Amino acid sequence: MTAPFSHLDLLEAEAIHIFREAAAQFRKPVLLYSIGKDSTVLLHIARKAFWPQKPPFPLLHIDTTWKFKDMIAFRDKTARELGLELIVHVNEEGLKRGFNPFDYAPSVYTDVMKTQPLKEALDKYGFDAAFGGARRDEEGSRAKERVFSFRSPGHRWDPRRQRPEMWNLLNGRLGVGETVRVFPLSNWTEKDVWRYIAREGLDVVPLYFAARRPTITRGGQLLVLDDDRLPLQEGETPQMKEVRFRTLGCWPLTAAVLSSATDIHAVVAETLSARTSERQGRLIDHDQSGAMERKKQEGYF
Amino acid sequence: MTALTAIRRAETAPELAHELNGILHLLTCGSVDDGKSTLIGRLLWDASDLYEDQRETLERSGRTAGGSTHPDFSLLVDGLVAEREQGITIDVAWRYFDTETRRFVIIDSPGHEQYTRNMASGASHADVAIMLVDARHGVKRQTRRHAAILDIVGVKRVILAVNKMDLVDWSQERFRAIESDFRELTLRFGFREAIAIPVSAVTGDNVARGSDAMPWYSGPHLLEHLEELPARDTTPTGPFRMPVQMVLRDGIDFRGLAGTVSSGCVCVGDRVTDALSGASAHVLCIVTMGRDLEIASQGQAVALQLDTDIDVARGAVLSVPDSKPTVATKLEASLVWLWETPFDPRAGYLLRTATDLTPISALTITSLLDLETLAAQPAQTCTVNDIALAGITLGRPVAIDTFGANPATGSFLIVDAVSGATVAGGVVTSAHNGAEKTSGATFQLTREMLQKGLCRDLGESEDERREFQRRANEAALLLHAAGIPVKLEL
Repeated sequence: MTAPFSHLDLLEAEAIHIFREAAAQFRKPVLLYSIGKDSTVLLHIARKAFWPQKPPFPLLHIDTTWKFKDMIAFRDKTARELGLELIVHVNEEGLKRGFNPFDYAPSVYTDVMKTQPLKEALDKYGFDAAFGGARRDEEGSRAKERVFSFRSPGHRWDPRRQRPEMWNLLNGRLGVGETVRVFPLSNWTEKDVWRYIAREGLDVVPLYFAARRPTITRGGQLLVLDDDRLPLQEGETPQMKEVRFRTLGCWPLTAAVLSSATDIHAVVAETLSARTSERQGRLIDHDQSGAMERKKQEGYF
Repeated sequence: MTALTAIRRAETAPELAHELNGILHLLTCGSVDDGKSTLIGRLLWDASDLYEDQRETLERSGRTAGGSTHPDFSLLVDGLVAEREQGITIDVAWRYFDTETRRFVIIDSPGHEQYTRNMASGASHADVAIMLVDARHGVKRQTRRHAAILDIVGVKRVILAVNKMDLVDWSQERFRAIESDFRELTLRFGFREAIAIPVSAVTGDNVARGSDAMPWYSGPHLLEHLEELPARDTTPTGPFRMPVQMVLRDGIDFRGLAGTVSSGCVCVGDRVTDALSGASAHVLCIVTMGRDLEIASQGQAVALQLDTDIDVARGAVLSVPDSKPTVATKLEASLVWLWETPFDPRAGYLLRTATDLTPISALTITSLLDLETLAAQPAQTCTVNDIALAGITLGRPVAIDTFGANPATGSFLIVDAVSGATVAGGVVTSAHNGAEKTSGATFQLTREMLQKGLCRDLGESEDERREFQRRANEAALLLHAAGIPVKLEL
């Protein structure tokens, strides 16, 4: 091969390198699988990194019970087809006490149904490293994230304990009680993720493609109703609209966009010419200034 | 076909998923006062496809300066709340933007002296560095310090952005004076390319467009220059190296050595050697998911299946038989101390090379680099932000190169064995096996040689003899640092 590598080739090779370094250095890694497009790319590269072996770690999904039904179906199908172990963890206590995304502030809900059970699951199974699909281009406080992001006992992220990373040397030696989050897609952008999905012909959750779906408009954002658990406010009548998602999370907290992009090429084209950043559609980030940084210190991914 | 469907067709054509040709990693170094955040913000604002919600946030934050209102570009890059409150940039931040043909990665590092370590770690990822100076102040000691750090971690291309030209009335004379200081400075280092560009980040002159205010400047504006630079060198250069990350297995038949080719290339049928064990085998197959390759080049992540099972594990460096890395137990190195806890000769340290982790039996600091004068001052200890020359003795042999010959297999981290912290990062300047007689390769620096040149102005007084000794040590240190084993014969 004499042709220079494209930037996607370079990003893919870097991610494979990171996967292998982590698998070689940590005792018991796990891949945090959140079903979205980033997880799809993450999992695909994990398969490449260890081919022809299967990835030497299970998938872990923290299920808030508020994911779109299509997401859950996609998750189960993916794990089954690839023959990978899938661990699904729910905060049963939070569920019993009725924490939901509309009666509680997004930050409280996220803490109870996502952050706490994530820590619980990592402790329960004794995972010392967790792969995640976070990208530095997603949000301000992530721009300084390391590839190996260390967590003190209790899973707290302490900016002062983060290790400098030089060249492509990755130091995974853990201190007592430390664990690590590993981000192989650190240097990818949203556009790269879509370009790569198109290039590799990967399957994604159908919600990323435009279809007529029942929607309401709340707080200037377009919400798709996935079931009848969301109490409608006065004047809200579901309307069928052609929409899709740029980012997927809990359905009452994830805004859809009007779109007619029904296939991968249309989605790529739309992404490449998008005028707003994807996190615009995540209601959780607008909750308070510096929201992501605070969540991270508390142990959120 | 109507015009509308034509447009639709074009919009959804697969070629829109085009891939960019290469990635340029761009380090920006300078302090808040030099307007670094503003420069990066301006670059993003003018040259990249910023999202509208980001633009709106900025326009709302507009600051009035000199009668006109500009968005506060620095808000695009000052990330963490803690940092925003203090108004300084502490950590290395990563930004990404694309032009038509190229991905740019901006590695934004703090400039102040107390953050030398952050700059060094950021610089280790960079292909090119922009050093920022204020046109009113010119090249300062900080600029010298930055150049020294860039040189040590291997940055080969540098740009001096002479910012705030609007505050010196776009003076050509002023710029030329700074440019000439810069030339003089860069000649002291091993940079492949150095260029000075007069800019104003606030007005945008010469950042992502030319400048009407400075018709006397005929060179490229900043973005133009960046787009023309060669991206990270992915054409295979140097001899083949592949540090083995792990061994992959599948059934009883498959044993693959997984790794990223760190230099050169390897083809099916090539003979490869593990320098540590001395064992060799031929490449039977270059495996990746989807298809096997005929050749794997620098930067590619692959798995090599060999024709005979040689006992190779993580930590090995595969090479061609006629150009192997050195199997060494003694290293000379330049390093930057990265951790708050100072060097402690009694602490246990480990050496992390490409994929190996080796106990260090002795780490000796020999001198500290004075970043002001660039002279090495004899020293026994070092602490955070220091740049030191050091000797490292390893508990067992490691396969390693000198950084100058092969950066990927010539760099290392020093790891605290107990806390796991990365306490230092460094480059190997010379590597040898402690057991070897080094006389053949060692340079003998004699009294006669020094008397002829470097010390010919010195007589026999006590002070002059001391000075003679000092210069001799200095010369020996410099030769050491340049990778030449040297023995003083005085």
